[in-house]
This record gives sequence, C-alpha cells and structure tokens, in this order.
Amino acid sequence: MITRRDLLQRTGAAALALGPWETAFAEYFKPAKPALYPPETVITACGICDSACGMRATIQDGTIRFLQGLPEDPHNEGRLCAKGTASAWIKNDPDRLKYPMKRTNPNKGFDQDPGWVRISWTEALDTIAERFRAILDKHGQEALLAISRGSPPWFARLYSALGIQRVDHNDLCYGVDIVMQQRMIGAHTFAWDLDNAKYILLFGWDMMGRAKLCLANRLLHAKENGARVVNFNPLWTPTARFCDEWYPVRPGSDLAVALAVIHVLLKENLYDKEFVEKFTNFPEYEAQIRAHFEPYTPEWAEKESDVPAQAIWRIAREFGSTKPAVAPMHKKTLAANYENAPQMCQAIGILNILAGNIDRPGGHYFPRTISIPSLDAIYPPPAYPKAPTRRIDGREKLPLAGSYGMFSTIAEGMTKIYPGRIKGIFWTGYHLNSFPDCNGMAEALKTVEFMVLVDILPVDAMYFADIVLPNTMFLEGSDIISRTYNAKSPFVVVRQPLTGAPFEAKSAAFIAIELGKRLAPDYFKKADGSWISSSELLDEQVRRAGLGENFAEFRRKGFVAREQPFTPRTTFATASGKCQIYIPEFAAKGYGPLPSWRPKQALPTQEYPYYLITYLPGEHKRNSTQNNPILNEIGGTSVVQIHPQTAARHGIRDGGLVRVRSRIGQAVGPVRVTETVRPDCVVVPHGFGHRSGYLRVAGGKGFSDNELIPAQSIDEMYKRGNWLGSGCIMEAVVTIEPAG
Amino acid sequence: MTSYGWLFDPKRCMECGACEAACKQWNGVETGVNVRWRRVLRMESGSFPQVSVLALSLSCNHCENAFCMKACPVKAIRRREDGIVLLDESRCVGCGQCYMFCPYGAPQLNLATRKSSKCTMCADRIDQGLQPACATNCPTGALQWGRWEEIVNRGSDRIGRFVYPMQMKPHIRFVTEPWQS
Repeated sequence: MITRRDLLQRTGAAALALGPWETAFAEYFKPAKPALYPPETVITACGICDSACGMRATIQDGTIRFLQGLPEDPHNEGRLCAKGTASAWIKNDPDRLKYPMKRTNPNKGFDQDPGWVRISWTEALDTIAERFRAILDKHGQEALLAISRGSPPWFARLYSALGIQRVDHNDLCYGVDIVMQQRMIGAHTFAWDLDNAKYILLFGWDMMGRAKLCLANRLLHAKENGARVVNFNPLWTPTARFCDEWYPVRPGSDLAVALAVIHVLLKENLYDKEFVEKFTNFPEYEAQIRAHFEPYTPEWAEKESDVPAQAIWRIAREFGSTKPAVAPMHKKTLAANYENAPQMCQAIGILNILAGNIDRPGGHYFPRTISIPSLDAIYPPPAYPKAPTRRIDGREKLPLAGSYGMFSTIAEGMTKIYPGRIKGIFWTGYHLNSFPDCNGMAEALKTVEFMVLVDILPVDAMYFADIVLPNTMFLEGSDIISRTYNAKSPFVVVRQPLTGAPFEAKSAAFIAIELGKRLAPDYFKKADGSWISSSELLDEQVRRAGLGENFAEFRRKGFVAREQPFTPRTTFATASGKCQIYIPEFAAKGYGPLPSWRPKQALPTQEYPYYLITYLPGEHKRNSTQNNPILNEIGGTSVVQIHPQTAARHGIRDGGLVRVRSRIGQAVGPVRVTETVRPDCVVVPHGFGHRSGYLRVAGGKGFSDNELIPAQSIDEMYKRGNWLGSGCIMEAVVTIEPAG
Repeated sequence: MTSYGWLFDPKRCMECGACEAACKQWNGVETGVNVRWRRVLRMESGSFPQVSVLALSLSCNHCENAFCMKACPVKAIRRREDGIVLLDESRCVGCGQCYMFCPYGAPQLNLATRKSSKCTMCADRIDQGLQPACATNCPTGALQWGRWEEIVNRGSDRIGRFVYPMQMKPHIRFVTEPWQS
C-alpha cells in the first residue's frame, strides 16, 4: 500500500534534505509526470452484493491500488459504490481469519474466551469429517444442519451429498416474491427496464439509498429520460430525491394504496386492454376480479395509509394512462417486511400486469442471458440421498412456501420444537445479527455440540463455533458472472484473483472438495474416478457457454457482450401459460387467489407506541462491511432517527442518547432528530451491533435492529395465514426514552 | 495554464459515499482519526412531510484566492501552476489556522500527529491524464471534475443555504436545475 507520505517523498519532498527548502518546494509544486502505477488494469467483478459490478483494478507492487468501474458493464456503467470502491480493505483487513483454529474452552457464548488454537488444514478437515460422520451415524441426517446460501455450488453439493438440510435467509429477503412471481408471470426476475418507463410507482423501493448500482442506475436514467416517479415510504430516503412526489405512507399500509390504485384502474378501465385480454387470465376471472377490488376505494385507502384519496385517484389515473408505467419491486422492498408481504407482492404484480409491461420495454422483463452450465450439469452426481422432510425451520408446515430457508423460525425449531436435535452445524457466509431476535439465536447455538464456521472475518458466530476455517474473498477468487438485473442482451464478466490469498485462507471449492473426499467421495469424482476440480469446471463452463477455449482465454477478454434484439415474450411459464392476476393454484389450497387487505401484524400500543422502521445504509452491505475502516468512517454506528415532535414528547435532544425498547429487547444509540420520518416511527439502520471482540473496527459499535425484532413461531405463522413465509423484519413496535 | 474545478449536481447525489471511499482508497488518508478530505454533507430544510434534503459532496475547492494559504504561518500551503492548492505535511506545524479560515473545512487537523492535510485534487492522477478518484467512481455523475473554463458557466456559484465565499473564488459550481419531467 502506497501511503501519502511515500507519495510526497516520490514527488519531491525527498529533495528537501538536499537543498534550500524554497527550491525543493518549487520542485514539489511543479506538476510531475512520474508513473506511479502501471496504466494496465485488470478486469474483475465485485462480490459485495449480487449486482456484482464489473471492476477495473489497478495493481501496484502486488497490492490493489485502486478499484473503479468497468465502463462496458450494463450494471454499473463504469462506476462503483463506496462498498466496492473500498473493498480492498476487506481483503487487507488485519482482523482477517488467517489459519484454521480450534476451540479449547468448551463453554460457548460472548462472555467466554473460546481459547483459539491454531491447527493445520489437515487436522481441521479430518476433525470436521470425523465429527460430522459420527453425528450422521449416531443421529442421522436430521442432526446436521447447514446455515448457508445455495451458492457457491461446491458447498451445495456437499450438503446434497450428505443429505442434510440447508437453511438460508430468504424468508427475510425475497422468498415470498419468488413464489408470487412464479405464479403470476412464470418465473422470478430482478430485471426492471425503468430506463424506458415514463411513470414509476415506488412502494418502499430504495435502491438509491442502498446504492445498489444495477438498479439505482435504472431510476437515474428514468429521471434523465423524463419519467414521473411517485414514492411511498414512511421514511425519506435518498430515493425520494429522484421522485416527483413522496408520500410518507403509514408503515405496512402500502398494500392499501396499491389495492386502491388497482380499484381505480379497473373502475375506469385504465389498463392495457390488448395485453390483458391476450396474455392474462383476466378475461377468465373478470367478474371475480372486479368484485374483489370494488371495496378498495381510494377513500378507504386514505384511512389505512394516510395517503390522501385525491392523490391516489390522480396517481392511479396517471399510472393507467401513461405508457410504459411500472411498479418495481426488489427483495426487502416489501417482500419480507410485514405479514401482508404476499398480498403486497401480488398487488404489485397485478399493477404491472394491468400496465401491460411484462416482458415489454419499460417494464418487468425476463433477463436475456448466456446460460452457464451448472456444476451438476458438467459433473453429474450420483443420485443424492433424500433430505429430511421435517425441517428445523418448519418450512414444510407452510402450504405455499417455496424452497427457501427461514431465519425467523430456526431458533424456535432448535430450542422448542426439536430441542437437542441439531448436533452439528456447518455455518458459512452469514452473520449472527442477521437473525430476528439474534440474542435468542445465540442461545440456540449454545445447544449445538459441534459447529464449523467458514468465513473471512472473525464474526460473532465464532463465539459459538468449535472449528473456524479461513475463507478467501471475492478479490481472490475466480468465477463467471452473467448479468441478470440489466440484461436486455447478454453480458458475462470474469471474476479473477487480483492478488494471492493471504496466509492460509482457502476457497470454498477447496474446503468443499476436501470435506467431500473424506465424507462422500463418490460425489466428488469424475466419471474416470479422478477428483473433480474447480479450475477444470471453469474451463468447461467457459467452453460450453461459448465464451472461449478455456477460462484463461476468457480471463484475457474480461467480458463477453452479445447484442441481440429484444423480442417480447408471448407465453408465460405459469400453469395456464398466461400472466395470472387471479391465482387458481392458491384458491385450490384454500388461500386467497387475489390480494385482500390485511393490516400489518404489530401495531402501536400504549406500551409500545412507535413503529420500528429499519433501513439499509448505502455505505454498507447489510452486516458484512462494518469492519471496513473506510466505510466505518462514512457510517459508523446505529443512529436512531426520530421526528422533532417525538423527541420533544420524550425530552430527547438531537445528538443525545436514546434507549429503544421492544417486547424482546432494548438497545441504546445516538439520536438524530429529523423531519424526514413520520412522528409515529423510530428509524434504525440495519447492520451494526457486532459483538465479536476480534473485529477491531466494528466490534461493540452500535446495536443490531434484530435485538429488537422478534423471531417467529411456525405454528403461529400457519394459523395467521402467513403461508408464504414472510420473515416480518419490520413487525416490531417500540418505545423510547432518553438515555443520557 | 489551464486550471480545474468541480461541478456538483445535488439532485443526482444518493449519499452513497463512493466519493469519500475513493478519496481514501487512492490517497491512503488515515482512517479513524476524523480526517475526511471529501465527505457528503446533508442539510435538511422544511418540515415533515414537505421536507427537502440537500446533499453536498464537498472537499477542497482549490480557491483562486485561498485563505488557507494566506493563513498558514509557515507557508506549507502553496499553489501549483495549474491552480491546485497543495499542503506539504512535512512543513505543517499543526496550528490549525488553515482549517479555521476555510469555509469548507477542507484542510483538516489530525489531532494525533498534529499535522493538517487536505485534498490534492488527486494531482498525481491528473498528471497522468486521469480524473480525481472521487469523480471517477461517483455512480450517478453527481460529482464531476474538469477544466475550469468548461465548468465555470455550467452551474450556479451558490446553492441552498450554502454561503458562497465570493472573494475566495472557489473552483466549484452547482447544478440547480430540477429534473425535467
């Protein structure tokens, strides 16, 4: 790393000692032309969020000097957000896990020193294999659990080969929206052509505030192209700066507004008749649909949402008479916030179908991609053992949930429904404060005999792990990344190691294959009996996808773009082959085929008079970047935002400390008094509150919103009709008091 | 000789902090000591729900008549031929005068080392035909950099409640036109 001091020395300050300082000074201030870094840059892809923006990296003396955007990339168009820009600091974080380690103190918890001892990779892998094998033999597949994403595919193969269950976070993310989009338009897609839209309704959508460039650029270009944008959000976010109107909707009642907009579109026949008649099941169910939305008048919606009825009438008419019009949706936008998330996702889907924008310019479309063959396609595995049907998160009890995990119910499964069942955990890529009621989850982890943690940093989960394995991060790995967010024509970019992995950090492929060799060797062999390898997989993927002869050649190219004309789809992969406004499969299971109004679950009470609103600050990726000193300086702690009236009521002053209390916990943070929030809301950022003392920048700073947000009970979810499994990450009400 | 300046369009700023991150990454500015050569300031006006929030990414504006330079008792601050105002930390005695006299808070004192430092406009990048790091990565084009003669007439010299220090002639202009729709 070149410091400023080195730079000064190079540019002339070194001459200071040689002559009179005035001369040296003149030298220093003369524009110099030294080559401080080679003009060549290396193409790779960011790995902070799944925008995976193309990067051009300047490498100097074996370290990363600068990261900037890849101009050809349709996602980020040559730019990077703060997280990507500063990501070399994750790579060079002095707190990184360096060697495999084992715990010597059997007592787990934040109050215990685990007594970490360095061990060799061989000892670590052998121990894990031995312990996992013993658990499988003695207690069966149900006793072993992977807390992990479905990618990288290497880990997925390991879990499948062992026949163990995997739990991911998608009840807190877009799980509900996956199910809904599959039923409504045949497949889930993240692609929204806002660039060409003329009228945009944003319900909670905040990609500017989150600085997710693949989507933020879409709204930016929409504004450059003269679109009119209306925003509903209890909180003023930077997205509102790109909007013509902002309505601070009452939390959880965006649904009322959406239903009323649909009411107006139907009442005044302001929908795209040609599209709706040809490509949707509207004609078949017209009577039911019209009758269903009849009661949802804008006047009714005003009472639920605080958005004036007149405004809803006007906005609905504008939405219905401007083409293309669109209402984008993305993940936490509204797919997991409240118990009425399924209804909200369906209402948004209906708005887009009525606007006739499905797979049309300016609308919600299916990405045109180059298909990269999967690991299983290239190395077909023997038949996998059947995974246990009684899941620890209880997902199978929800009749309409998709194949995603549930962080909001896993602690209940581990401690109440199946206490003691989970004996071993393989944990990778997640943070403890991602779990609603994260303290409850910490308690649940204490009941586990043997836990393995694979990570790049010494995260909170380490206080509950028995063995930790240091992982490589995205600037040290190789991959092939296909665009899915802004993908009207295919674009594929390379990810390649910029510098070597530090110390003994190893890739996911290495870890999975080495454990696979020990635990399920048949699944990690090629047809000829030799072990499968990650480099051969990449070569084969590149060859079969037509990106080049092998990965090395694709690496040299950096990216492949294929221009192709956009031909809108005329059939959709639903049961009926049409876009479904009315979902007959839901009706068959006794679930509402059309979205009905239901209020959010947690409403203010005398004891807890405020809605808790959480948001994702743009300078951080959820809870994974707080230890980055650059990002920490931009946003370093949990600032609680409240309205001046609210502050005055409790005698809280701007910059003071406030205690926020919900029915499950309490936390203290600094206050920002601001006019940008509703007086009935308390707003906190997500991502802070790391408790690991090994994280020297982030550890002990701020609190996690999940110390306040309750976990869920699976039977309760079933009874209340939360059948798609919304994680309810904003179903908390709180009270506040001054804390100094 | 040509000089340079900033053009800032606040309606395009999403407060992501990429400018500050790029600044620190390129220049190796020490972190954790509250020295932030470039940062995004947020100014609220109006009252709920008719609120407006102005975001300004600010750094050194390399004033033609830089008060910091005049205030420095040891002449540690000088101007390059192309107008870039540079502070030589090795000369700095840590008196903090430069900070006191700058309306933008551009020179900043590191209390641990008792040295001031400030934005160099990435002079080393400019010398190689590159843009400053902050403007290179700004995702929305809110922050732009260029030749002053091309910027000076492209925006207003004042914005919001931000007082324009006339006599200092800072090299920054603000785009004040709203979105067209």
